[in-house]
Amino acid sequence: MLLKLVPEKTNLGFMKLRFPAFILSVVLIIGSIFAVSTQGLNLGVDFAGGSVLETSVPDGVSVENIRSTVGGLDLQDVNVTEARGAGVNAEAVFVIKFKPPELSEEEAAERESGNASVVDALKAAFPGIEIRSNAAVGPKVSGELLWSAITVLIGALVLMLFYILVRFDWQFSIGAVAALSHDVIITMGMFSITQLEFDLTTIAALLTIIGYSMNDTVVVFDRVREEMRKYKKLALGQVINLALNGTLSRTLLTSGTTLLALLAIFFLGGPVLRGMSFALIFGVLIGTYSSIFVASSILMTIGVTREKKSIDDVPGFQGAP
Amino acid sequence: MLQFPPWKIVLIAGALIIGTLLALPNAFSNSFLGVEPQRPAVETAENIAAYNAQVAAAADSWWPGILPDNKVNLGLDLRGGVYLLMQIEEDDVVERRLTSLSATVANALRTPASDRVYAATEVRDDELIISLNAGRMEPDTMDKALSRIDDANSPIQGALGGQQTFSFSQRGDREIVIELTSAARSFYLTDARNKSIVTVRDRIDPQGVRDVNPVPQGDNRIILEVPGEPDPSRIKSVLSQTGSLTFNLVNDAPSDIQQAISLGRAPVGWRLLSDAETGEQLLVNNTPVVTGQDVASASQGFDPDDNTPAVDFRLNGTGQRLFSKTTQENVGRRFAIVLDERIMSAPVIREPIYGGQVQISGNFSMEEATDLAAIIEAGELPAPLNFMEERTVGPGLGADSIRAGTTASIIGLILVAIFMILSYGRFGIFAVLSLSANIILILGALSALGATLTLPGIAGIILTIGMAVDANVLVFERIREEKAAGRSPITAVQAGYERALSAILDANVTTLIAAIVLIMVPQWMGTPIGPVSGFAVTLAIGVITSVFTAFVVTRWFTATWLRWARPKTLSI
Repeated sequence: MLLKLVPEKTNLGFMKLRFPAFILSVVLIIGSIFAVSTQGLNLGVDFAGGSVLETSVPDGVSVENIRSTVGGLDLQDVNVTEARGAGVNAEAVFVIKFKPPELSEEEAAERESGNASVVDALKAAFPGIEIRSNAAVGPKVSGELLWSAITVLIGALVLMLFYILVRFDWQFSIGAVAALSHDVIITMGMFSITQLEFDLTTIAALLTIIGYSMNDTVVVFDRVREEMRKYKKLALGQVINLALNGTLSRTLLTSGTTLLALLAIFFLGGPVLRGMSFALIFGVLIGTYSSIFVASSILMTIGVTREKKSIDDVPGFQGAP
Repeated sequence: MLQFPPWKIVLIAGALIIGTLLALPNAFSNSFLGVEPQRPAVETAENIAAYNAQVAAAADSWWPGILPDNKVNLGLDLRGGVYLLMQIEEDDVVERRLTSLSATVANALRTPASDRVYAATEVRDDELIISLNAGRMEPDTMDKALSRIDDANSPIQGALGGQQTFSFSQRGDREIVIELTSAARSFYLTDARNKSIVTVRDRIDPQGVRDVNPVPQGDNRIILEVPGEPDPSRIKSVLSQTGSLTFNLVNDAPSDIQQAISLGRAPVGWRLLSDAETGEQLLVNNTPVVTGQDVASASQGFDPDDNTPAVDFRLNGTGQRLFSKTTQENVGRRFAIVLDERIMSAPVIREPIYGGQVQISGNFSMEEATDLAAIIEAGELPAPLNFMEERTVGPGLGADSIRAGTTASIIGLILVAIFMILSYGRFGIFAVLSLSANIILILGALSALGATLTLPGIAGIILTIGMAVDANVLVFERIREEKAAGRSPITAVQAGYERALSAILDANVTTLIAAIVLIMVPQWMGTPIGPVSGFAVTLAIGVITSVFTAFVVTRWFTATWLRWARPKTLSI
């Protein structure tokens, strides 16, 4: 007996749910925009600039010890936390973040991205401490990285809009891009509310979410197009409903396998991948939701230009196969 | 859709076999494959012993040379090492260029000697200002100066349309302002970047044995990755020195030095420098006897007196001639070896030095002497390098990340396999087989392309595992529908593949667009996002291989099975 997530024939009235879904999406979008504009994103060193050091935890050394050692140096925004390291039996690590003090241009040029003083101080105070990783991003580069990331996101959205425009009608492409923007905004809202670190890896995750959500939407649209050709007289709402029901089993199965793979990364991939896999898990859920409710509802609202005459309408061909 | 003529089978099987062969080296150690190991970054006795053992093992390898031996290239986040993004400031390059141009222009104004134009030159911001001497102005002096400056101008090497090096204009009655043209600025900037790349490589890896490959980024940036290096500070100290080496005659008369100190300036043609070690101040002649360009080679050696580390170097032919001539004429006086405006050593010339062998000794550690030799031998940097971004991953973290990534991939694969087999039975097994082929192909492609696998790249592979199943799912769901519509097994499978094709293509093209944007845009913008690009590369490769394995390989398995078993009903 094979496992069936969805019965063979479903006839769920997705289009009836589109108003509650619409309200839910609008609330989530407004909430996300509000969150991002009021409390902002927890930008990582990639985008905010500054330094981050990850060290081993020598016996008997506490976060406070590290904080007082690093705090004694001439630095700003020092933040020390203890976190789990990579791997299954993860060792603990200290994560030390700081920014170099504000300096005149010449001084900054000499000290830019200099973590050496911090490393030396730590090694002197705690013999045997191991520096696991060390990154310093100058303010110029972090600004460029942020700009590059924004361009990447917008570029991907525009190209996909164009692809759908070529493959489908313009109404589809609006529906698809609305769904994608919906996903990106809400995922960013999630990052703002949870204050998870937003860095380059997150951008990769966002782009994957865009790709994944697009993938889902295209499968539904492809089916809508097919059903429209098959049932020329059926109302658009019913056609879309047919398409959604027809692809439902596939949508859930694919989301299921992708989520299984992502859960494996989330629990076993270590802290470097945890933020990314969390974003992806969230994105798969939101992308699945948006391809069912957002993309098709927009399509439903705008309407589609359908071929006016079905073969049945042509005089003399009534009842033709 | 279900017909596979022999040539198709040959192609499919060929692709799978080639992919497997390309992926195969990843299963073995380098010694087994007969690949020469990299020299260790830190040369301790243990490391050297391990290295020698690996070299010996590699020599014994029986791995056939015809088979590929390229492994997946691991990113710095997985194997540990130092990443540096350095920038050359345009202002520095322009200033140096104008300084050397000022000598050319001054020379042009002085020629012919019978009819000199008297003028002072000064480099200020990004202009070279020529001030004609007020006391010697004739009515035609300005015109003469302008025409001589025009003659001194030259087209830039290799530039299109013969663009000139500088533009100049008259300002006021006595001043001429020279500026570099924008074509010249970008030419010199790129030129400085290219020369710096060579110098950086020579300094970090003087023997050319380490896996160090600085690459240009945009007009004025250089990316340097040093795998296996645990400490960025030594690399930075080697690269932060300009490395301008000169030998100059010295005036050590205490009265002259005292006078210069109390006046706060040295006599014309001399400058006051202090000894890096003793702090002693000496007057150093501005015209060097020999420069770093006259050095043929430099190496770390030992001071014969006390056996402490020192730097030995040998001058080339010109250098030897100049140096022996100067030492002959100046026996009893002192000369200074000056590196980046610091006196490294200021010995007394006891007898003429003919061989061109020179040694700098001081309180060097072994490391310092080795680094200094590398700096001197590699030569001067055309402009100082600014460190814009720096990332170091310790070897421990890299190893942990590999372990975590591998575990996550294997568990992810197993979970997906169980899920697929539970959902689709026999068809699920076909899908899982082709999924395994997919992973082998991704590894093979990464190895063959020399692409770099990063930790987010591993996440990309895992994500591909999840998404590769999608194409199979699309087909299988269609087959279920066709079967429910009452079709026979063969026509149901046939229709399933036909109808799913357009959705599969559209869906994968859009993912491919996302991956390509992620690879290309940062390159155009000149901002590399290393680990993330690694993710995009695996994603792009994964999309292509997964369409092949899911749509072609699974279909081949299914068709073969259908023909062999001839099932009356499909269990799907």
